[in-house]
Amino acid sequence: MTRVTDRSTYTRRRVLAGTLGLSLLGGFAALRYGRRFTARAGDAESPDTGSALSRGAVDPATRRLTLKHAATHYNNAYEFGWDKIDPVHRSGKFRLEPWAVTFDGLCRRPATFDVGDLMGMPFNQLEERVYDFRCVEAWSMVIPYNGRPLRELIDAVEPMTSARYVAFTSVLRPEEMPGQASPFSSLDWPYVEALTIEEAVHPLTFATFGVYGDQNLPQNGMPFRITVPWKYGFKSAKFIVRITFTEERPAATWHLEAPGEYGWYSNVYPSISHPRWSQATERRIWGKGDIERIPSRPYNGYGNEVAYLYPGSKQQYR
Amino acid sequence: MKRALVHAALASPAVLLALGWHYGRLGVDPEKTLIWETGIWAFNLLILVVLMPGIARWADWPAVIDCRRAVGLWAFSYATTHFGFFVIFLLGWDMARLGSEIVERPYILVGFNAWLILVLMAATSTRGWIRRLGWRWKRLHGLVYVALGLAAVHYLLMIRSDWGWPVAYASTVLLLVGLRVLKRGRPSPADRVL
Repeated sequence: MTRVTDRSTYTRRRVLAGTLGLSLLGGFAALRYGRRFTARAGDAESPDTGSALSRGAVDPATRRLTLKHAATHYNNAYEFGWDKIDPVHRSGKFRLEPWAVTFDGLCRRPATFDVGDLMGMPFNQLEERVYDFRCVEAWSMVIPYNGRPLRELIDAVEPMTSARYVAFTSVLRPEEMPGQASPFSSLDWPYVEALTIEEAVHPLTFATFGVYGDQNLPQNGMPFRITVPWKYGFKSAKFIVRITFTEERPAATWHLEAPGEYGWYSNVYPSISHPRWSQATERRIWGKGDIERIPSRPYNGYGNEVAYLYPGSKQQYR
Repeated sequence: MKRALVHAALASPAVLLALGWHYGRLGVDPEKTLIWETGIWAFNLLILVVLMPGIARWADWPAVIDCRRAVGLWAFSYATTHFGFFVIFLLGWDMARLGSEIVERPYILVGFNAWLILVLMAATSTRGWIRRLGWRWKRLHGLVYVALGLAAVHYLLMIRSDWGWPVAYASTVLLLVGLRVLKRGRPSPADRVL
């Protein structure tokens, strides 16, 4: 060895290595946990109340609801980011109004309505329905939804007999929805989803304008979404701005992204395993850390109402 | 004293997670947070353990090598906790399902194999085993690179649509493996210290 490094150089290198290590740790923590810590501070202040409205068919004594705080701080709305805390904390710029929804395609009275017109009545007079919400990721919640049957809106625009499908297009606003502007997402925006016309006019399919009696919840897909309780959650399109009647089967975002994982129908079938998640059981999230493991049910428990829509092998409706 | 500090630092993510769990600060789904964060810290420490010889050599800092076993064992502990939480929270202790899950889901198979390598390395990490295995010990513990590679694939397979974090980790692993392959030809004196 002819090359000799003197002591002070080594000392400097140790200091450098230590500093670099600590900076990496700090950067990692800020990137990964920064948003969570800022999030936590605010969370503590928000009251953990259930539904603000106590009228209607909801009787807390007979039907336990997931706490509102849980249902509004654990959401999949990739428009705002991939982390389930993103939709509540990165939706501050999102403008809920004005909001217009266009009905077009194979219908006799195509038109654009303001969301208030779609409600057709004051928000607090809308029907409140408690549905089991089942995510494809094998967790579920029990949530009170405020709205009216989607069928009533569809009837108003008079679909033609040739209309076999209903396509839902979500809003495209990358400047207000950071997930849509993210360079790290492989999803195509805007989000699109679709149902068959029979599914869309089924009495359980619910045009939704709020949850827990609250309209101001972009993280839950407001101001206007649909709720299709017998299918995995991603089928219930959020932030809808356009409803189109078609003859051909329309595209659906997650089905496009990975057809092997997310079927076009995506009915809840516990016996059909997803490549990532066994669907045999689900984790029922009640809030405040209370999570219960329960068996999943075909059609998420709504089989009596909807099974007739799916004759033959279940595989074709996965 | 120094040893205690090193262990305290390595244990701090676990302590923070435990406190967060106890005080209900791990979000709406604490089970998921626990699974993900123990996994990510196993990964972080595995990367650190592979970086340590280089740092020790570059800054002539033998103390770094003295800590290496502790870092490796803590990486193993986080990985074991990660696996344990998966079995408890996602499988509900259903051991029959564990078998079918490992076979059916590639990301679980890959992660499970990474963990098996860590088990093997942790079990042979004592002075006695180092002596008994002799030159073969280094060979065996070179498997840490395989474990890292498997961990990277495990994480990549979790991508649903957002690839930022998994790709950052996979790139880091690729870089580390690349460096390893590059320096393979010329053994350095520090290697003998291990």
